[in-house]
Amino acid sequence: MNCEVCHLKELEVESFEIREVLRCILHTIIFHRALGLIRPKDIDLELFDITYVQCGEIEVEKKIDETIEHFISWIEKHPNKKSQISLSFYEVKSKQPSWFNNKQRSYWEQWYVNLNVLHQTKSPSHHSKLVMDTGEASEERNSRRTMLEQSLQEVLFQIIKFVNEKKDHVPPINDGVIYCPFEITMPSSSDSTFGRDIWKRMLHSGGHPSMLS
Amino acid sequence: MDFPENLPSPDIGRLEQIVSHFFPKALHIVLDSRIPSLQSRGRTRDRSSGGLNVKKSDKWFNLIMGDRPAALDKLHSWHRNILDSMIIDIILIHPTDDDDDHGNVRSAETVIERWVVQYENPLIMSPQTSDPSTRYQKVYKKAIILLRSLYAQTRLLPAYRVSRQLSSSLASSRYEMVYKVSSFSDVFSPPVTETMKEFRFSPVEVPPGRLCASVTYRSDLSDFNLGAHITLPPRIITDYVGSPATDPMRFFPSPGQSFEATSFHFQGRAGRPPLTTSSASERPHSWTSGFHRPPTPNQSFSPDFHWSRTDGGDSHHQLSPPFSPSGSPSTPRGSYSPRINVRPGTAPVTIPSSATFNRYVSSNFSEPSRNPLPPFSPKSTRRSPSSQDSLPGIALYKSSRSGESPSGLINHYPGHKLTKDSKYDSGRFSGLLSSSGSPRFGFSRSPSRLSSDLEDPDCSCPFDFDDVDESVLQYSQSLDRRKTSSSISQSLPIGRKSQDAAVGVLVQMLKTAPPLRQDSSTYMASSMSGVQREGSSVSGAESEFSMARSTSDALEELRNYKQLKDLLLSKSKSVGGATRVH
Repeated sequence: MNCEVCHLKELEVESFEIREVLRCILHTIIFHRALGLIRPKDIDLELFDITYVQCGEIEVEKKIDETIEHFISWIEKHPNKKSQISLSFYEVKSKQPSWFNNKQRSYWEQWYVNLNVLHQTKSPSHHSKLVMDTGEASEERNSRRTMLEQSLQEVLFQIIKFVNEKKDHVPPINDGVIYCPFEITMPSSSDSTFGRDIWKRMLHSGGHPSMLS
Repeated sequence: MDFPENLPSPDIGRLEQIVSHFFPKALHIVLDSRIPSLQSRGRTRDRSSGGLNVKKSDKWFNLIMGDRPAALDKLHSWHRNILDSMIIDIILIHPTDDDDDHGNVRSAETVIERWVVQYENPLIMSPQTSDPSTRYQKVYKKAIILLRSLYAQTRLLPAYRVSRQLSSSLASSRYEMVYKVSSFSDVFSPPVTETMKEFRFSPVEVPPGRLCASVTYRSDLSDFNLGAHITLPPRIITDYVGSPATDPMRFFPSPGQSFEATSFHFQGRAGRPPLTTSSASERPHSWTSGFHRPPTPNQSFSPDFHWSRTDGGDSHHQLSPPFSPSGSPSTPRGSYSPRINVRPGTAPVTIPSSATFNRYVSSNFSEPSRNPLPPFSPKSTRRSPSSQDSLPGIALYKSSRSGESPSGLINHYPGHKLTKDSKYDSGRFSGLLSSSGSPRFGFSRSPSRLSSDLEDPDCSCPFDFDDVDESVLQYSQSLDRRKTSSSISQSLPIGRKSQDAAVGVLVQMLKTAPPLRQDSSTYMASSMSGVQREGSSVSGAESEFSMARSTSDALEELRNYKQLKDLLLSKSKSVGGATRVH
């Protein structure tokens, strides 16, 4: 089975926008991959005029939030400009369930969320220019925010388009399985593959971990 | 529609079911997100129960939408042939600029979205290579994914936002979003403009044909000016200033500034139609109702009548906007209608040159704590310091209100006022403090001392100074010329429109006047001090002469005050107790 890879468009975000942007993107992807019986949940972003959809599973929401928090703390420790989050769907082919057994996993889809985190400079401006800087800064912030919103919409369209075009590689749905197992990784920006700061979160579906091919 | 014969009969049935159930599901998804009246109930049931209480029909494609409205079932009832396309038009009814013959605004219909779902049946059947037993599962899985993406797409398109805005109770009734479901795009449907974009979902192979879905939509809905006609739902105001009810002495910024402040919160979300000035100004303030009482002397500075937008015709507005010194009674925005009596270029008040009055001034200055009226003034009168024509009442009034002494006129208090002005953008306090920030007094006898700038534009007179100018000048001049008390009542501005102002002046004079019984002693002391301060050399003979003169002046003043007092009492009855006489 081929592993389909999708590199999403890079987004320039500020540190306080990371949470909403990541939540939007990750939930949208998982919504298209949670093929079990779900009750969709519409979520309005607070920073942007965008509504995205969650699959409604509390476990998924919780895990995504924890991941995002870890990512934010990771960003603070590694203030690299560009960061990448990888969301991977896999199947466990081994007959025996195992938690940390990479060899038994078969990744069938990988998503790369590219973020360019802008670190705000806190250089004080002179009092004489304070008013002007504030006005210009707010104007610049607004325009950047608008561009980010448009870019985020483009990313969501990109997800929908990819999901539509590639369907054959998706494993079949098992009874009782709501969402496909997935993991989120944060490779360092210098590494194209998994770096030193990798940590993995495993998620198992509510049903039997083995999946019929 | 003939399904392939090589398929097991259950599969045929299942495939057909997939197709037949796909249409109503797609219809439900689209209309649920566009037409509020067709929104499903039971959508937000307890999620912990999962799919336990879900109808079987709602479980199709593993997407729980909630109870399907009856209207949707009726809509789908006509769609009996799965080969028929299903075209869902989302139409926006909006007003146009054209008016009909009767002056009524016309409405127009514009298709802002067109969803097309169809099952294409190819003329030539392609050979099926996959295992028939798993074909249904794969087809179903793909159909699920297709509907997932269709669901997500409905939330991303601009019509979704419009739909939510229109469904709010604050929306204008002139806009409406309706739908039309048909099996073909007939000529009666509003045309799809070229400016619309199209998104085609990848078809799902359902042998023998395939399920297709597409949407044509308008990416830009700003032409309909929805933002000007829709009030956004209430949001928390983080820069709420507070109502006059809680803090009546607190000043508010100018209307323009405040409206900009409120609209700022709404523009914070990019993509939303920005609030126009009219819509921002139409947003009611919490304190606009109930504050239309006429200002009393002690409440003339309450900012309520700054903001009472509804009572545009009230005449008790006495404050002025910063940039309308013309005194027009109405404002362009209709936010308030103050009676503007501000003359930014007027000169500060000067004290009359009478010696007696000097003593009063000095005596008043010796009591800086006496400040019966609010410390700040919305008035913005400025008087030239050089004028010898004094406004004794005003000067005293100012001094007493400011609580300043001549020597200490340039003190913290003007600074305090400056702080207030700058903080609250006291444009209405257009008579801003000068650099000296103190009222000016013109003492005829010691002009050098008078030059200590005592400019007090923030005169705390509850009445209109500007209207009093002439009248009070007359009064002061009469004082200077005649120095008699008999003419004072005649010189008073009786019958003029500044009657109240004159009364105020007199009130202040009486307030700041020393007690009548203590006149003799204080007059002697003050007169002596005044004479000494005047810088004239005082010999014994001169002192006796000045003492005798002081006494006569004092008595004269006493008589004047008595008359003033009587006059004031009579006036207060006519004014209705608006003034207080101490």
